[in-house]
Amino acid sequence: MKNKILEIKSLTKYYGKILGVKELSLTLYGGEIFGFIGPNGAGKSTTIRSIMNLINRTEGDILLNGKKLDKDDIKAKELIGYLPSEIHLYDDFTVKEMLDYHESFYKNDCHKRRKELVEKLKLDETKMVEELSLGNSKKLGIVLAFMHEPKLLILDEPTSGLDPIMQQVFYELLREERKKGTTIFYSTHILSEISKICDRIGIIKEGQLVAIETIEEMQKKNLTFVTIKSKDISKIIADLKLEIKANEENTIRFKNDIPLNQLIKVISNYKIDKLLMEEATLEDIFLHYYN
Amino acid sequence: MFKREMKINLKSFMIWTSILMLLFLVVYLVYPSIMNSDSVQSINAMLEMFPKEMIKAFNMDISSIDTAYGWLKTEGFVFVLLLTGIYSAILGSTILLKEENDKTIEYLNSVPVTRKKIVFHKVACAIFYIVLMVLSVGIFNFIGLTLSGDFDKTGYLLLSVTPIFSSIVIFSLCLFLSTFFHKTKKTIGISLGIVFMSYFLNIVSEMSESTEFLKYISIFTLADIRNVMIETSINPLMIVFSIGITILFITLTIFHYDRKELV
Repeated sequence: MKNKILEIKSLTKYYGKILGVKELSLTLYGGEIFGFIGPNGAGKSTTIRSIMNLINRTEGDILLNGKKLDKDDIKAKELIGYLPSEIHLYDDFTVKEMLDYHESFYKNDCHKRRKELVEKLKLDETKMVEELSLGNSKKLGIVLAFMHEPKLLILDEPTSGLDPIMQQVFYELLREERKKGTTIFYSTHILSEISKICDRIGIIKEGQLVAIETIEEMQKKNLTFVTIKSKDISKIIADLKLEIKANEENTIRFKNDIPLNQLIKVISNYKIDKLLMEEATLEDIFLHYYN
Repeated sequence: MFKREMKINLKSFMIWTSILMLLFLVVYLVYPSIMNSDSVQSINAMLEMFPKEMIKAFNMDISSIDTAYGWLKTEGFVFVLLLTGIYSAILGSTILLKEENDKTIEYLNSVPVTRKKIVFHKVACAIFYIVLMVLSVGIFNFIGLTLSGDFDKTGYLLLSVTPIFSSIVIFSLCLFLSTFFHKTKKTIGISLGIVFMSYFLNIVSEMSESTEFLKYISIFTLADIRNVMIETSINPLMIVFSIGITILFITLTIFHYDRKELV
């Protein structure tokens, strides 16, 4: 049986009367990378800030290794590595001083891992924090989140600002962490990242979790999209009983729920200029949950 | 963390302490030449024209300004009280809140440190600097007065530590108020308002019996300068009050900060 690392139970957060998240429940297991996707304002940051105890929960519990995650639980905090979407660090420090300062909070020796990460990410330790570009700030944030070898990594939009080469280095780093058994909570709105590295995904919409599935399950849904172009497009729409309108080029694109035989039978009655049947991409699946 | 706090707050400590020292240095350099001239008689004559209430408000009824020590006891100490008060107010309203204002709290919250410990380290650093400022200015003035002539050393030593009592209360009150905000801009204004209002109330309370009650709502009453000058002793009740109020506000700060939403 897989061991539960992080459990979010019926998490609800209201900012006054405004809903942040509602009755959100999910469980993360040891050694998995869990993709948490949703557009801006869906409740991703609220969920993360609740896990990190930056905000007070209206209702619900968060458990780490089966124990309630209290804001003053130092031992629990040592097990978590956190990379926020926007990195704000101490401008008066050099990168080296920032890393030294970070080390001072941890009982275990993180120096060896720190050196490995600095080399891997090609981070210049002599630079002042305030001089760092967005990409280099992100790299420093990654070293800070990973260097104490946490058991749970909470990453919020981790690749924003990283160049494509560094993104690949970062994905490789994530795969290494997964091999070591680290659990990763990966919040993003970049869907292509999800299929590359995640084992499971959770889709959040308007503060509520609408689906949790593995990448394979998602792709096995056999969702197909059909594109038809024809001068008789309005008759085809009527025959197929679709509730859509054709565009100016007499073209329609729709998620197909019609048995293929029936679809072919209907369209064979008309002159078709273009017919395209394609498997749903992750973007399509995402939109399927959103529409 | 304490070390870091000491490092980042050193600059403002140096600036504020230097301002005070520079002010007194000018006085020690200029005062003897004024007092040795005929102008001292015209100053005394002018002061006699002021209402008694005004003279009392600036402690000129119990001390003359014809010596550097006399000036220090009357006008000079106003600067020490006000400037240490302003410094304490700014420290109180920014030392904790700066982390939220600069958004570094998201980082600090993620490392293994409790919120209580964050408050503790910052308070320890601030109180250290406030006491150090009062003592540094005290020692500087002691040297200045020694070089300027004879003065009541016991009375001065007691007088020089009195700003600690009002300053730590101002600091802790402003620290507590800062836990209700997310931006330092708002709290600095409020904190400075508290210092000036408090000083104004203290002055007015000295003017007549009908306004005496105002001293109970002025933090500067805790410095108890007038009593120190007359009795050459510090009222222990004021020490107990200032330490008690400071502990109360710091406890309230810890309590409220622990429940605060940090973003």
